[in-house]
Amino acid sequence: MKRSLRSFGTGMMFVGPSLFLMIVFVFYPILKTIYFSLYLTDPRGVPVQFVGAENYVQLLASDSFRLSMKSTFLFVLYTVPTSILLALFLAVLANERVRGVEFFRIIFSSSLGVSVAAGSTIWLFLFHPSIGLFNHILKTLGTAPIQWLTSPDWALVSIALTTVWMSVGFNFIVLLGGLQNISEELYESAKIDGAGYWVNLFRITLPLLSPTLFFVTVVTVIHSFQSFGQIDILTKGGPAESTNLIVYSIYRDAFINYKFGTASAQAMILFVIILIATYVQFKVGEKRVHYQ
Amino acid sequence: MKRIWLLGLVLLLVLAGCTNSETAGGGETGQTGDGKVKVTFWHSMGGDAGKALQKIVDNYNAKQTKVFVQTEYQGSYEEALTKLKTVGGTPEAPTLMQVYEVGTKFMSESGYIQPVQNFIDKEQFDLSQLEENIAGYYRIDGKLYSMPFNTSNAVMFYNKDKFRDAGLDPEKPPRTFSEVREAAEKLTDSAKDEKGFAILIYGWFIEQLMANQGADYLDEGNGRKGEPAKTLLNGPEGLRIYQWLDEMNKEGVLGNYGRKWDDIRAAFKAGKVAIYLDSTAATASNVKDSPFEVGTGFLPVPDGVEPKGVIIGGGSIWMMNSVSDEQKAAGWDFLKFVAQPDTQAQWAVDTGYFPITKAAYDEKILQDTYAKYPQYLTAVKQLQSTKLTIATQGALMSVFPEARAEVENSIEKLYGGADAQKVLDETAEKINKLLADHKKVSK
Repeated sequence: MKRSLRSFGTGMMFVGPSLFLMIVFVFYPILKTIYFSLYLTDPRGVPVQFVGAENYVQLLASDSFRLSMKSTFLFVLYTVPTSILLALFLAVLANERVRGVEFFRIIFSSSLGVSVAAGSTIWLFLFHPSIGLFNHILKTLGTAPIQWLTSPDWALVSIALTTVWMSVGFNFIVLLGGLQNISEELYESAKIDGAGYWVNLFRITLPLLSPTLFFVTVVTVIHSFQSFGQIDILTKGGPAESTNLIVYSIYRDAFINYKFGTASAQAMILFVIILIATYVQFKVGEKRVHYQ
Repeated sequence: MKRIWLLGLVLLLVLAGCTNSETAGGGETGQTGDGKVKVTFWHSMGGDAGKALQKIVDNYNAKQTKVFVQTEYQGSYEEALTKLKTVGGTPEAPTLMQVYEVGTKFMSESGYIQPVQNFIDKEQFDLSQLEENIAGYYRIDGKLYSMPFNTSNAVMFYNKDKFRDAGLDPEKPPRTFSEVREAAEKLTDSAKDEKGFAILIYGWFIEQLMANQGADYLDEGNGRKGEPAKTLLNGPEGLRIYQWLDEMNKEGVLGNYGRKWDDIRAAFKAGKVAIYLDSTAATASNVKDSPFEVGTGFLPVPDGVEPKGVIIGGGSIWMMNSVSDEQKAAGWDFLKFVAQPDTQAQWAVDTGYFPITKAAYDEKILQDTYAKYPQYLTAVKQLQSTKLTIATQGALMSVFPEARAEVENSIEKLYGGADAQKVLDETAEKINKLLADHKKVSK
């Protein structure tokens, strides 16, 4: 008994600091969020009335919330596969031994160095309805201009486009790192066996890259669910709530409308969704991942 | 076992420390280094208007030696209000703050402020020198809560060159909904992607177009007689506006430039849209920066309706109650300076906002500008011909910012092809729910 207690104490010494930080910055806020989600708050953000699950019930019944969920899932669908495939494509290209490839590596990863705010502002000008570059190009081609950010049909696509551009840099670097880790000997022996480029790619490169791909997928999905900056700068959730993704919706309710109750309830729902998504990815994804 | 408890206790204490420290932070000392009383002034004037405001403040600081006013730009009206909610009622709050007109009800109920009426009574300050329509908005139960500062209303701007090219009389802007529509049809050039008419997706314009028809926005006397429970947005007057927009949209003569003021202004200046509605605050910039001749006209009304006038928009300056008496007195001194005719005249010339003081119209600088740019005058005439009724006094509700956001969503849905009455009913229902929710928590 005494000994196990002592070893518990020693153990705590090791995990204590990180446990402390987790409590302050993760567990305490989570508990507080659950607490808020059961209350109505006054305009100053003070919880005044206990309402139990009413915030959740009203959310699930509200059109706006359902639309928000739908846009969020569509957004994840638009951005995750596109940005991973694009990054993979670029990484495979940049992994070739060609002269001057370093230049392209820098170019392909450069969007990593641009902050969300700066990047979004650049895109804001590209999308501008009357003096933007994109509509100018369309005009010279003789096609009708597109209301990139002001049409409910296009806004989500435009935001997705921006997000893909932003996340490609990071994904590219990680995937390129994964590619460079694959041992040269494997390709050499494949060459002796007479394997061509495509066989190499699908039989050696991709299977050995799968742990990296898995990591990139998990991270991109979570990032995608949590997108905020580009929406705040480009559309503020509009038009007609078509880009009111869940995190933006939480922000609106909490810090503009000062309804911490509804906002916390949404945050809890988002938490559960990401938890499930990550769990599923680990269960399904891990079986297909080939570790060396 | 003891150690765990000890550890738990330490953690608990640290946590408690974390939560308490935010309120214990040091407040403003209220004085500058050289012994002047310091007045912090939060505002939301960006760009040219921000420079014009700084000019006023610099003049004031140079003119006397007891008070130093420090301006702090806090982003848009919405953003500034959000920031105030985190510090309101604490020593960290500013002395003075500019708040937009729809924040009036929230501010008056917030418990952060003290009505300027207190100072007016103490000093017998003569309120009759203020423009009555303007002071009317900020007066609740006969008390002036905040000092009007930058006031504007909605006017129509149009491109005279385009009017000439389309064979329209450039001196006769359209006055009714159908006249606007006919003009817009003639002014639209689809091949060049040039639209006839546009309106910014901003709830304020719908409020203005309702008031111009003499319609209240809320029940309970537009929210001025009691706590409102219902919006009248989906009544016949609102429907006329939405149908009008819907028809022009379906005809392809209406431009949609989103929710950003800058975008629609850029479209107008670039000749992409011939007629649009904007705040008078854009007058100076539109007239001086456009490469064509700019005309201004009254806000349109539905056919057969007598125009009733407009609600004043813009902002007023509020005094916080959490600062020292010295600072309050200094703040009030600055407010009096702001209301002086010469200050107001200069402000009006630099921006296009109205002078809030009647005597400002006698100042030479303003008269010269009005003579040189008659476009400024439309807005003044429109304001002066407004009859002060409950409708033109403007609605009051605490959830105005949220309600506006709902109206903006509804316009976007309308442009997306939804039915006008259906969209209005849905929106009214959402606003009613906001009102009901507010009632629940504001006891």
